[in-house]
Amino acid sequence: MSVRIVIAEDTAILREGLAQLLAMRGHEVVAAVAEPVALLAAVADHRPDVAVIDIRMPPSHTDEGLRAALELRRANSGLGVLLFSQYVETRFVRELLADGSSGVGYLLKERVTDLDEFTSALDRVASGGTALDPEVVTQLFGSRTDRGLATLTPREREVLALMAEGRTNAAIARRLVVTDRAIEKHIANIFTKLDLTASEGDHRRVLSVLRYLDGR
Amino acid sequence: MRAGRVGKTALVSQVAVVVRRVLREPVSTRPLSELAYVLLAAPVTVLGVLYVIVSLAVGVALAVTAIGIPLISWAVPGTRGFTAFRRHRAAGLLGERIPDPPPFRPPPGLLSRVSAGLRDSVGWRSVRYLLVTLLLDVVGLYVVLVTWAWGLIALTYPIQFALGVNQSTIVVDGQVHRGLIVHGIVADTWPAVLLVSVAGVALLLLAPWAVRVFLLADRLLMRRMLGRAGAAARIRDLERSRAYAIEDVAATVRRIERDLHDGVQARMVALAMNLTMLNETLGPDVSEQSRNLLTAALDHAKDGIGELRHMVSGIHPPALDAGLETALGTLAARSPIPVDVRAELPERPTEAIETIAYFSVAELLTNVSKHSGADRATVELTETEGRLVLRVCDEGRGGANLDNGTGLRGLTERVGTVDGRLAVDSPVGGPTVITIELPLHT
Repeated sequence: MSVRIVIAEDTAILREGLAQLLAMRGHEVVAAVAEPVALLAAVADHRPDVAVIDIRMPPSHTDEGLRAALELRRANSGLGVLLFSQYVETRFVRELLADGSSGVGYLLKERVTDLDEFTSALDRVASGGTALDPEVVTQLFGSRTDRGLATLTPREREVLALMAEGRTNAAIARRLVVTDRAIEKHIANIFTKLDLTASEGDHRRVLSVLRYLDGR
Repeated sequence: MRAGRVGKTALVSQVAVVVRRVLREPVSTRPLSELAYVLLAAPVTVLGVLYVIVSLAVGVALAVTAIGIPLISWAVPGTRGFTAFRRHRAAGLLGERIPDPPPFRPPPGLLSRVSAGLRDSVGWRSVRYLLVTLLLDVVGLYVVLVTWAWGLIALTYPIQFALGVNQSTIVVDGQVHRGLIVHGIVADTWPAVLLVSVAGVALLLLAPWAVRVFLLADRLLMRRMLGRAGAAARIRDLERSRAYAIEDVAATVRRIERDLHDGVQARMVALAMNLTMLNETLGPDVSEQSRNLLTAALDHAKDGIGELRHMVSGIHPPALDAGLETALGTLAARSPIPVDVRAELPERPTEAIETIAYFSVAELLTNVSKHSGADRATVELTETEGRLVLRVCDEGRGGANLDNGTGLRGLTERVGTVDGRLAVDSPVGGPTVITIELPLHT
């Protein structure tokens, strides 16, 4: 599937590298800009499927990318937003997910090195799914050891991590080389142990998992 | 009787000592040094005061233009030279050693230079000292004039009288008198002339002591205005330079983090991207060995990026850019136990304070999860009377103190670098409350 993409990244070598990489996988990079104002204009002009946005952009190089992403999501329903950063900040994750987790992603820049994973994450975001960096999940996991999570088996943790990354049951099953049925069972166990009500759809469970992990 | 004789002899010998001292004083080196001091210092003070008046007057007159303020900022440290001259003469000629103030080292950049010049406390102190000491020096010169100068003139009067120099002519009762006039009386007879000469000797004997009494005042003023006040100013300067050093380190670390982010880290990611693309474009005829090398290179690049990220978060967590509250939120989210963060800060502290606060909380939270056995912790961040108050509480087993290897002592030292305080309230059995108080600004 060819996804129409706008890239916002202030470092030229990364902007060009990313555009090149995505083009290699048959995606169409309709615009590549270096700062938030140009990003808003480019999205308005080109109406892309996904905006890949660096978090630290001019003028202050703090969280301009995140602000632009939130603004874009409010103004453009159906636009996928993939934050692209050298760091994972849990606060940013929470803000990003506050308006719902459909069509959002947050990946470390180095994830592009696994091109299959990266493009599949991009596709997920483009089609309204979620893609959270494994690091987000690890950080949140690393932090919560004694709130039901401690009772999870290693396998269940693995499944929960993949769930939080935004994967479907089928994808998790493929990844862990087990049947869909086995995954469903794991997930049911996880929800019971974490005292969560299972609900339809991948992104909602990401959200609930994250909310739980986040202690809210 | 015996005792009386001994007492009398002692008295006589004491008087002899004093007389000998008084007689020798005018020709020993110390009075001459003191005289030289007064004669050298006074003109330099006059020059210094002229310099102050002219430069400040011109500066104030031009204050509305762009050069007025810079002119003053340049003139103020410039007065240090006049004071330094006097201090050095006092050390060399009087043995009065007032420590040198710290040198004026303006930071680079015109604006910083101007601001440092205007705030140069040593310079302003010099200005005040010069103005006050000008009055004192007038007195000093007068003392020298009436003792040393008149003494010499009077002493050598017989020679002048014989040679007919320095003679005034007045007419008293129709008679013409030529000679030195002292209090309306003309010394024109040899007995009178010799009497003047004797008076000159007396003045010269008195001169060293008169100058010394004057110098007592001069030394006191110097110690007061350049010495003791100097210590207070030195403390202020040290505080300022310490604050500058602390902020400078914070800014440097922040700059390194930014440079790494935009430079090395970006390049490493670009390198990884290129390797990925290379991998993508490899044809089927590439050897297994080449593929393995490429995979290894890619792994190294990824590991490098990860390590760099870890390292950077240890020196300046990027979340701090968004403020202490955000950074503490991220910190809390990463903590092994749940942490409630309550932050109410009406204004943002300076960068260095935020960094110290952040790493203090990080360490305290590590302590809570490692030592306290508590299952949750609270972090409170408030401002009280212009101070930042950080409180980390847990319901654990308590018993924390500065000496049981929890790193609290090191933490106390660290907050001490900015005049912060750390208080431990941790009875055995808990709860533990650690309070850190920091200034909002260094």
